[in-house]
Order: sequence, then structure tokens, then C-alpha cells
Amino acid sequence: MDAFLEGLLTSLQPINILWICVGGFLGTIVGMLPGLGPATAVAVLIPITFGMDATSALILMAAIYYGAMYGGSRSSILLNTPGDGSAIAATFDGYPMAQKGQAGQAMALSAVASFIGGIIATIGFVALAKPLSAFAIQFGPAEYFLLMLLTLSAIISLSLGRMVKGLIAMSLGLLLSTIGVDTQTGVYRFTFGIPHLSEGLDFLIVIIGIYAVGEVLFNYLNIDKQKKEKKEVGKIWFTKEQWKRSKWPILRSGPLGFIIGVLPGAGGSIASMLSYTTEKQISKKPEEFGKGAPEGLAAPESANNAASVGALIPLLTMGIPGSGTTAVMLGALIMLGIRPGPLLFENDPGMVWTLVNSMFIGNIALIIINILLVGLLVRILDTPAKILYPIIVILAFIGTYTLGYSTVDFFFLLIFGYFGLLLKILDFPIAPLILAIIVGGDMEQNFRMSLASSGGSVGIFFGSTIAVVLVVLTVLSLFYPLIIQSIKKLRGAGPAAD
Amino acid sequence: MKLIKLGMPVFLVLLSIVFLVGTYNLPKAKLGNPDAPLYFPMGVSVLLLVFSIIYLVQELRRANETNEQIAEMLSGRTPLLIGATIALGIGYALIFELLGFLFSTLLFLGALLFVVNGRKKWVANIIVTVVFSFASWYAFSELLGVSLP
Repeated sequence: MDAFLEGLLTSLQPINILWICVGGFLGTIVGMLPGLGPATAVAVLIPITFGMDATSALILMAAIYYGAMYGGSRSSILLNTPGDGSAIAATFDGYPMAQKGQAGQAMALSAVASFIGGIIATIGFVALAKPLSAFAIQFGPAEYFLLMLLTLSAIISLSLGRMVKGLIAMSLGLLLSTIGVDTQTGVYRFTFGIPHLSEGLDFLIVIIGIYAVGEVLFNYLNIDKQKKEKKEVGKIWFTKEQWKRSKWPILRSGPLGFIIGVLPGAGGSIASMLSYTTEKQISKKPEEFGKGAPEGLAAPESANNAASVGALIPLLTMGIPGSGTTAVMLGALIMLGIRPGPLLFENDPGMVWTLVNSMFIGNIALIIINILLVGLLVRILDTPAKILYPIIVILAFIGTYTLGYSTVDFFFLLIFGYFGLLLKILDFPIAPLILAIIVGGDMEQNFRMSLASSGGSVGIFFGSTIAVVLVVLTVLSLFYPLIIQSIKKLRGAGPAAD
Repeated sequence: MKLIKLGMPVFLVLLSIVFLVGTYNLPKAKLGNPDAPLYFPMGVSVLLLVFSIIYLVQELRRANETNEQIAEMLSGRTPLLIGATIALGIGYALIFELLGFLFSTLLFLGALLFVVNGRKKWVANIIVTVVFSFASWYAFSELLGVSLP
């Protein structure tokens, strides 16, 4: 309780409230830009955290993260162009509402739904984080290795229809993580005579390259096709009828989104789509979905914001990012000297509870930003992408330079930017690559430590109940899509045979 | 289009072979198990090689299918925008420490805006270049204490 109060007082310090508002606002702006989501927002804005103390940096990054989640739905509603995957569901009914002259109502409803989803999830965070970190303390190197493997396999299994590409992305990420001096033996690996690589490839450069430069290069594909639409916002508050239809979907979708967010691999996209389809299935007016049904907007908005808070649990309690965005956040945290994991709750409870309390405050700040400043936000959306994209490229360069103060990194940034473009064009999932680069080093160390402690026997990976459960879950997660596909095929073949 | 579609799996196959050969040539560890630094990269290289070969076979089977994204990347202004961003980025890397942050950023951002936003909007390009370059220099160098050349 003391740590909770200490966290509350710290998060209420004016400077931290300022960072919450700055992060929320900047995150909203980047998240609003079509094609750019929370991962890009955090990647591009990482340099702002330099020179800050760790707690403030953590608060700022979390605010950028959920600010971008709010922002993603602004462009879904106004332009029918989601900022990222988790905002796709907001286009289904948000854009039809805007077309009916209810853009202001849609934005207010989505902001309130996001707020409630975020608050429900934050309460869930308070309840779950401590027990989970206490449980995670029981993990040894073998369990950690298997947990990382499970996270990777879970993310790959979500790459429906492109398993091989997901596995390639993962293998590539793991391979890139082996570049540099091996910390256990001092052996130089794959430096190819480039001294700059002796410390390894900085994964933040890979992240900024793929998520910032790569996204901009990819968005060039449609840069001349973007239509200029007149955006009439209208009244910025929803009606009693809209609220009546939305309140239960919001309250149902919050916990659903939170649970999905906690699961490794799943994220805002799945949470929002699942809540949308669930609400449609149980609705008395399913025919109105897709035509501007308020609950069709409110439910996924509540779910995806709740998922973003839920995703922080495995990140902070075990150091396991469950999505591309949380992987980016983990990279930034490591750079700031914060090592997420069960010991974070033991060693620095003040920091964790400050973050939790900042989430409450952040959600309040964001609802104010998103409702009071809606006019300004809409005007920002008017700024041409042709001006914004070059600015994002420059921010990527500045961020890269501040990581190692070397222009050699600019070349790596460009290589990974171009590589990111190719991956997107060829429909490769990016998250397994990013996740593998980040956890690869730890995975290898835990793998080797496990084998060293068992005298080289792989039996250690089946040596405890937790390990066996993790192995089973990993196998299931990899074969689950195949099983589902086979069942569908069998069902499809059934009537035809008849 | 085929070049890009098949180029990627071929590149991945070659890359995995380079890493696999590199693993064999790694020096032995002087501490502990001499082969310890080899196992993980070797295993991952083999995985990458296997998956890349499967990917290559898949792509060979559908080599004649059209990929709209590749077509878009190769059409209109897109190749110019991509090429110019990378070329200007290389130029930025070369002049950054030579000319300092402010001057090199003015040149890079200005040039990039002229390419992306067009010459006709030169007023907006110049205003954005000057304001953003000075603002970012002030924000990073003065407010955030980041050491810029």
C-alpha cells in the first residue's frame, strides 16, 4: 500500500503530469497519421526520453503508447484510414457515423470508450501484476527460455497464412541478435571486420529503421492517392441513445481486451476485432453493424485500449513483450537502464506503481485532450503527409544518432528501413523479427545456462511442471492454426461429399 | 517484379549460408565449452536456411502471380521517392559531422521536402525546413541536453 501511495504521489508531481500530457498528445498525433501506429510513435519519440530520469521516461513512453492507441481511431473515424491494425475495427462503424455527420459524436464516444477500457484494464493491472511477478520469480533459465520461445511461437501463429514468413522473420531476428561479442566467452561473432558491430547490432536502430523509415517508404506507395476530404466534426458529444446502446458493450469489451492483451502474441488488433464480432453476434440489431452502430465503434475502442494496458503486464513482470509495440518499449526501457522482470517489482516498486497511477491520470488527460482539443487534432490531420513523412524520417535520424553518437548507424538505419519496406511489401510479419532481435540475446544465454546446469542434457527443458506446460503451449500455439485449418477443410468437404 | 519476388528468398538462402559458414569459422572459446558460442547461431542459421528454401519453393510455384504492392512500388513517383530518400539519407550521413547538425539538417530536410512535397510548394517547404531544423536543434541540444555536432 505504501508503494502504491508513493507511486500516486510521484505521478501527481507537476513534471510527471506534464510528461503524461506531452506523451499523450504526441502519441495521439503520431497515432493519428495514417499508416503509423503505436510502435512507430514510441520508436520515433524515444529520443525525447534521453536525459530524463527512468521513472519519468517510463511514464512518458507509456503515455505515448496509449496516446497513439487513442489517436489511431481519429483517422479511422475521419478518413476511414486506420493509424494501425488495432484501429481497423473503428473504421467499420466510426467512418459511417462520420459520413452521417456524427464525426464529433463518434470521436467523443470512442474517447470515452477508450477511457473506460483503459481504466478497467488498469484495475486489472493492479490486481494481476504483483501475483504474476511473484509467480515469475519461480522461473529458472530453462523456464525463461521456454517462455520466450512460447512468446515467439504465439506471435508467429497469429501470422495466419504466412507461417513460413513468420518463422523466417523469427530466425532472422535471432540470427541478428547473435552479432557482436559473446558475453559469456568473449568470442567475436559475425562482426565481418566492422569494429562498430563488436557491441552487436543495436536493436533500437533496427526498430527505428523498420518502424519509422520503413513505414514512411511503404506509405510512399499511396502518397499521391490520398484524397483531401472535408472533415465536418459536428457536435462533440454523443446522445443518450448512443450511450444507452454502448455502455454494456464498453463494459464487456474492457475485460475481454485486457485478457487478450495479457496473452503473449495477441494484441490490440485481435482484441478489437474479437469484441466487434462478439457484440455483433449478441446484438439485437446486428444488421446495423457496419452502418454507423455506436456500439460497433465503442466496443472495439474499449477493447483495444484495455489490451494496450494488459500488454504491459508480461512486459513489466517477466520482461516478455507480447507485441511489436511492447517490444519497442522493452528496447527503450533496456536503453534507459530499466530491466523489466519479476525483480523490478521487488527492487523498484515505487517506479511500477508510479507507472500504474500515471495510467489512471493519463487516461483522464487523454479524454480531455481528445474531446477539448478535437478541433486542433482535426487540423493536424489536415497537415499533408508529404510534409509529415520527411519530418518522421529526420526524427528517425536524430533518434539513431543519439543512441550511439555515430553516423555509421545512419547506414544501418537506411538498410533496415529499406529492408522493412521489402518485408511489408512481401507481406512478412514484422513483430516476430523485432521480438526475436530483442529477446534473442537473453534466449541464448538462458538456453546455454540451462544446458550448462544440466551437464548438456535437454531433459532440463522438461524438468519442471512449468517447463512442461510451456513446451505443450508452444507446440499447441504453433500447430493451432493448422488444426483449425484442417477442421475448416473437413467441415467444408463434408457437405460437398454429401 | 520476379526479381523482387524471387530475390528475397534467394537473398535469405544466401544469408543463412553466409552465417552458417561464419559459424564454422568462429574462434573457439577459451573459457568453458569451446564450442558454446557456436550452437545457438548454428541452430538458428539452419532454421533460417530450411525456412528460406521452403519460401523459395513456394515463390517459384507462384512466380507468375502478380503482387500489387510490388507493382505499386515500381510505378509512378514511388521509385523516385524511395530512391531519393535513401540517397539523401546517405548524403546526410556523409555531411552530418562535417557540416554539423543544423546545416546538414537544413540541407537534408529541405531536399527531401522538395522531392516529396514538390517544387511548387517551395514556400511551405522552406518554412517547414527552417522551423523544424531550428526547433529540433533547440529541443534536443538545449532542452534535452543531447550532444549534437
